[in-house]
Amino acid sequence: MLNKISRYWWCQIIGWSANIAISVFFVTTFGKPSKAYFLSLLCTCILGIIVTHIMRLNIFFLKVLEKPLKKQILYFVVLTIVFSILLGIISESVDYLLGYNPERLQKFSRAERLFLSSFNALWLVLIWNMVYYIYHYVESNRRQQLDTLRLEAMVKSLELKTIKSHINPHFIFNALNSIRALVDENPQRARTAITELSNILRSSMQAEKMETVPLQQELDIVKDYLALEHMRFEERLNIEMDIDEDTLNQPIPPMMLQTLVENAIKHGISKQINGGLIRITSDFKNNHHELVVQNSGRLNGNKTLNAEGFGIKSTQDRLNLLYQGKADFYIHDIEGGLVESKVTMPVSMP
Amino acid sequence: MMQKAVIIDDERLARNELKKLLQDFPEVEVIGEAANATEGIEKIESLSPDLIFLDIQMPGKTGFDMLCELEKAPHVIFTTAYDEFALRAFEVNALDYLMKPVEPKRLADALQKLQQADEKEIAASLTGINRGMLNENDQVFVKDGERCWFVKLAEVRLFESVGNYAKVFFAGNKPLILKSLNALEERLDEKVFFRANRKHIVNLRMIDKVEPYFNGGLLLDLKGGEKIEVSRRQAVKFKEMMSL
Repeated sequence: MLNKISRYWWCQIIGWSANIAISVFFVTTFGKPSKAYFLSLLCTCILGIIVTHIMRLNIFFLKVLEKPLKKQILYFVVLTIVFSILLGIISESVDYLLGYNPERLQKFSRAERLFLSSFNALWLVLIWNMVYYIYHYVESNRRQQLDTLRLEAMVKSLELKTIKSHINPHFIFNALNSIRALVDENPQRARTAITELSNILRSSMQAEKMETVPLQQELDIVKDYLALEHMRFEERLNIEMDIDEDTLNQPIPPMMLQTLVENAIKHGISKQINGGLIRITSDFKNNHHELVVQNSGRLNGNKTLNAEGFGIKSTQDRLNLLYQGKADFYIHDIEGGLVESKVTMPVSMP
Repeated sequence: MMQKAVIIDDERLARNELKKLLQDFPEVEVIGEAANATEGIEKIESLSPDLIFLDIQMPGKTGFDMLCELEKAPHVIFTTAYDEFALRAFEVNALDYLMKPVEPKRLADALQKLQQADEKEIAASLTGINRGMLNENDQVFVKDGERCWFVKLAEVRLFESVGNYAKVFFAGNKPLILKSLNALEERLDEKVFFRANRKHIVNLRMIDKVEPYFNGGLLLDLKGGEKIEVSRRQAVKFKEMMSL
């Protein structure tokens, strides 16, 4: 039952009760009130609840809270005055009917009494309105903040998704074309190639659901990917792998190694007439898990870096999002005519 | 008519696949293949094919770069997997292209379109047969940053010398090609292209108005709004040609 009473009604009840409590406190401290006084006070409060509730219905009806701030203040002032006069008139009439405070009847004229009564009501209505507006103001601010946060979180997850689901269409169609050529030339190889391609497509779709995957799982994809690229480039593509078996359980962002290898092929192998080498290394170094992809070729300063754009930027962004700066990624030329991209991640203890 | 074709693609399987598809088209005979742009240029120059199937993404030079180096481009059908950049270039210039894996129906359409263009050209070229010279229906491939065009010589208003390059004026464009004006002059048909001065070769069919100029020279107003001065010595030659 109590749960069903809304916050608004709780505020009404508590507020007007507080009004009664304070009035009673002062009156009993400074004199001996009559029975009529208590009755009048109670009536005023009940009327107050009714009148302010009507005011609230008006606020709803006029949609005051949705208006710009200046208009809100104007409505606030007008409503306060109108409803305090209304409350003043009603409570004065009630007092009159109850026969409360007969001296007052003699001392002031009817108009003066109405004015005094309205002035008293003004304070009550003003406080009521202030509480009401401040509550809604704070509430809408909080909601706005919450919305901003929610939006940010959504953008972040969307970013991660688009980064993850990036598999180069150029690769897919080239692979399909090679497979079509193989159907006659080497049907067995064509069948394996279809399996490899499905594995890659499947895992790129699943990658959206996961933050990290074990290295082993990612390596399986990369091996399938390299097998397909080898089918395209044939003897132009040489592959070396040096994987520390203990690193196979380390979690890594899905499709990240795949992106690095894809870039290595795109910029290292496919640009060179005689092809080149792709070397993948995974090891523990300085309490970190190091994942390295090397490929033949040169970075050629900024030109290639820009062209590579998406791969580098997305890898950096993903690492930042996942490890909050505890992971590192860089790409540079090394000896032997190789380009090296290296990811350093914190070691995860199972 | 029999078309002699060369396939240029860095992937052996892709070349094989295309050859296999072309077996269904007896009017096309594949006379050679190349695995990169350099080999491609050699093959084109030694075999002079009517048609090339050209991959864009190749090691070393791209297919576009290769075309720019050719004196005159044969008919080209581009083949590419998925490549947003290349697709944009195609859409802008309505070049003919096939997406790998190639759909046989699309290949048939492309070949038919080519045949029609060919017939038109044969009709047009009956008037002037001069071997070695570029005729008006020959096309050159030009590339300006991201944009590329096949330009028929008949559409060119003006060549302007810029160092070792020549600026080619056609329609609303003026890209650069890596050819000197002197080399161009040697190859262009002098009945159509006239050396107006040290820096300019104009297409005579694109002249709007001729005005007298200082020193017995002439000023040519071209259809694109360019004004080209003809030196005194050339003006004499110009008048001679025009009075015929």
